[in-house]
Amino acid sequence: MKKIILENNIPLVLKKNKNTPRMALCFYFKIEKPEKKAGLYTLLNRLFLQGTKNRTAEQLANELDENAIDCYSEMKQDFIRFKLQCLNEDFEKGVEILADIIENSTFDDFDKEVIKLKGEIPAELDDPKTKAMDAFYKNIFKNHPYGHTYTKILEDIDEIKKEEVLEVYNDLMKNSSKVISLVGDFEEEKILELTNKYFKNIFNSQNRNNQINMPILSEPAVVKVQKDDAAQAQVIQGWHVPTIYDTDYPAIMVMNTMLGSSGLSSRLFLELRDKKGLAYVVRSSYETYDKAALFNVYIATEPKNIKTSLEGFKIELDKIKNIPVTEQELENAKNNLIGRRQFFSETNLQQSSLMAFYEDKGLGADYEEKLIYAINNVTTEDIQRVANKCLNGPSVLTVLAPSSYLESI
Amino acid sequence: MEENIVKKEVLYPYLTRPVEIYERENGHKVVLAHKEGGLVNISSWVKTGSINENDENNGISHFLEHLMFKGTHKHKAGYFDKTLEAKGAIVNAATWKDYTFYYVTLPKGPQNAYMNEAIELHADMMLDPVIPEDEIGPAFTYGDDSVSQKRERHVVIEEIRMRQDQPWTKVYNNTNKNMYTNHPYKRDVIGHAETIASIPREVILDYYKTHYTPNNITTIVAGDFDSEEVLEKVVKEFDFKGRQNYQNPKHNLDEPVNEEKYFELKGKINTGFAITGWLGPIASDIKDNIGLEIINIVLGEGQSSRLYQNLVEKVTNPVFNVVTTDFYNFRDGGNFFVQSNFKADKKEEAISLIKHEFEMLLKDGMTEREFNKAKKKLKARFAESSETVSDIAENIGYYMTVCDNLDLVEQYLEDLENYNLEDVNQVARKYLQFNNSVTTVLLPE
Repeated sequence: MKKIILENNIPLVLKKNKNTPRMALCFYFKIEKPEKKAGLYTLLNRLFLQGTKNRTAEQLANELDENAIDCYSEMKQDFIRFKLQCLNEDFEKGVEILADIIENSTFDDFDKEVIKLKGEIPAELDDPKTKAMDAFYKNIFKNHPYGHTYTKILEDIDEIKKEEVLEVYNDLMKNSSKVISLVGDFEEEKILELTNKYFKNIFNSQNRNNQINMPILSEPAVVKVQKDDAAQAQVIQGWHVPTIYDTDYPAIMVMNTMLGSSGLSSRLFLELRDKKGLAYVVRSSYETYDKAALFNVYIATEPKNIKTSLEGFKIELDKIKNIPVTEQELENAKNNLIGRRQFFSETNLQQSSLMAFYEDKGLGADYEEKLIYAINNVTTEDIQRVANKCLNGPSVLTVLAPSSYLESI
Repeated sequence: MEENIVKKEVLYPYLTRPVEIYERENGHKVVLAHKEGGLVNISSWVKTGSINENDENNGISHFLEHLMFKGTHKHKAGYFDKTLEAKGAIVNAATWKDYTFYYVTLPKGPQNAYMNEAIELHADMMLDPVIPEDEIGPAFTYGDDSVSQKRERHVVIEEIRMRQDQPWTKVYNNTNKNMYTNHPYKRDVIGHAETIASIPREVILDYYKTHYTPNNITTIVAGDFDSEEVLEKVVKEFDFKGRQNYQNPKHNLDEPVNEEKYFELKGKINTGFAITGWLGPIASDIKDNIGLEIINIVLGEGQSSRLYQNLVEKVTNPVFNVVTTDFYNFRDGGNFFVQSNFKADKKEEAISLIKHEFEMLLKDGMTEREFNKAKKKLKARFAESSETVSDIAENIGYYMTVCDNLDLVEQYLEDLENYNLEDVNQVARKYLQFNNSVTTVLLPE
């Protein structure tokens, strides 16, 4: 792995994987200003593939597909990232198109994209899990850009003007910090030549100035979502917890593995699925962003089992807070976590994405090695300590179910 | 006596070494694929799925898949998952119409220790499941709330419930069911809650004994290892102890419907969902399958596809939120689908717009440019599917189990190269006539 600062001041992190047929490049643009209206960044992100000064949306789509180039942008809480993946021989073409998209997008299809988005959101919300998750995030990040979910976007979208999207774009180009990562079978010299040539007009910001506040959850909340024909209730409970920047990050990851994300042997899976037959899907998750992180537990169950499931959650959460885990269970969870990380970083694209993610966070593209070292050093005391640190504060509980099952919650 | 094992090699695109196929005397096949890196994938593919089910036992293949994880005579339920997950493994299984497969992906470990242990445990699970009554849970009448011991029956019933809440699944199931007259493909792989609640253990065990036979199982190992050592290990651990073989019955292929069928369902939703389906060629008919794969890309895959461009991109106020196509390959005949989500009050317009696009394709064919794009994408797909040990193994499993022939992989790129535009236009006319189609629409109540 290597880091080079390009002529435009953007760090390029590189990893060579011999004998791999496809190259993978990620280009991160950090979001450092809160959006004034929900949906601004979402619209910007969608408009990136809707035509440039040199290519119409149709020409763009055709050229990418004719060369079997995967090139798209994704918007997450803290960044917009472009992903480019193609056969080695088509890499220059891919980089040229990507640079055109980033630099020359016209945003002319603004009105159409608004119409499309307004159509797609209700379709997404017809899925009960999406609907429940929407309500959950909207409430656990109330009055914060992280809570700008589908339904919040629907509330704001008609107020958004094209000029505002352009403003956000210009600001991102000018002021955001950027990172490029590349993994594949390449010659370094050629890559430097290509990236310096095609990305020469995209500059890195010298002044990092993140204006997004930390979201605060001071009161517990129960959010009920009515869906009268739901065969299953969707139950999500979440807490604000320390982020990737906290020294407890590795310990929380291990706790999450143990509690509900190790696959078929986690505590929640064994107790609520295997022993009680309450669910097909039951799990915990730990999601970290720049300004906040969440620890969540989730179950989809027959509506009459909501109470039993919540009791089951409580028992397991109390257990991990109050009873020290055994050395063996800790060891198993660490190995599981480390092994699975290998599985989820097998392809060039996965590796490239992870490297850029860490570099963007200022942790260094090779942070994974440090993280694994830190995971190996987590102790049984750490687990109990972080369990109490994470799971004693206020939580947001969201339940989607037919109305008759919501009354007693 | 040394076992006589027949070896064969197949050139698999983008892998640095040929894939080795070994057929044992008892019919059990072992396939080894070389892929550099620290991860290894071990899987066994069984030639059974809903293709071998009837109205009485529909869902049994999938239920058995769950129960295979419930312990062996050597190891109690949970040991397999716990032991392997503690070594960083991803452990799971899947059931579809033609097959059921079980897999472990994990780091090889020091001196291949994890891989060897995974092969042992995987073979033990495949050959010696106990399927204990207390893990299945007592049989009950579905709807009877008095059952206290809720075990795996309830887990599968929850999986069924989850699917009941998914609009696309509802529409797919109804279309699929009505595309067939007699073939077992008409049934939903997961089955019905009533059957899962009441099916006795003995019936499940019998089903296991009948179908999990040497000739019906292919074991695949993909990763970086010494082939001889791994073959020896797999052969040693997969001791079928003289288990009798079983030949799957051949099913008569259904003719497609001869006049357009239409169904309308209602739900508490806000938008409209539709799926139209056609019957396609048998999986081993590579030529027609390639044709439909090309049509799938041109018509409905990605932003450059005709449906997206003509029905979403180039219209000011589109009726559709989503409109795509899909092509599934099955042993006794694949399925081509067009699926759409649209504004709920625009049902007629949505259906007629899609029809028009198909009519244009059948009448004028596709352009050389569209055709070449699809060919390039199909080639690139092989590069994509050679990137992970799991994808390599899954692709091999499909060809070995559904097509009975891994040579087709080698042949595929050659067939694709020789394909011409007229071939693909003929395939479109052969399979995609609207009077051979079944449509289901789900609308708000």
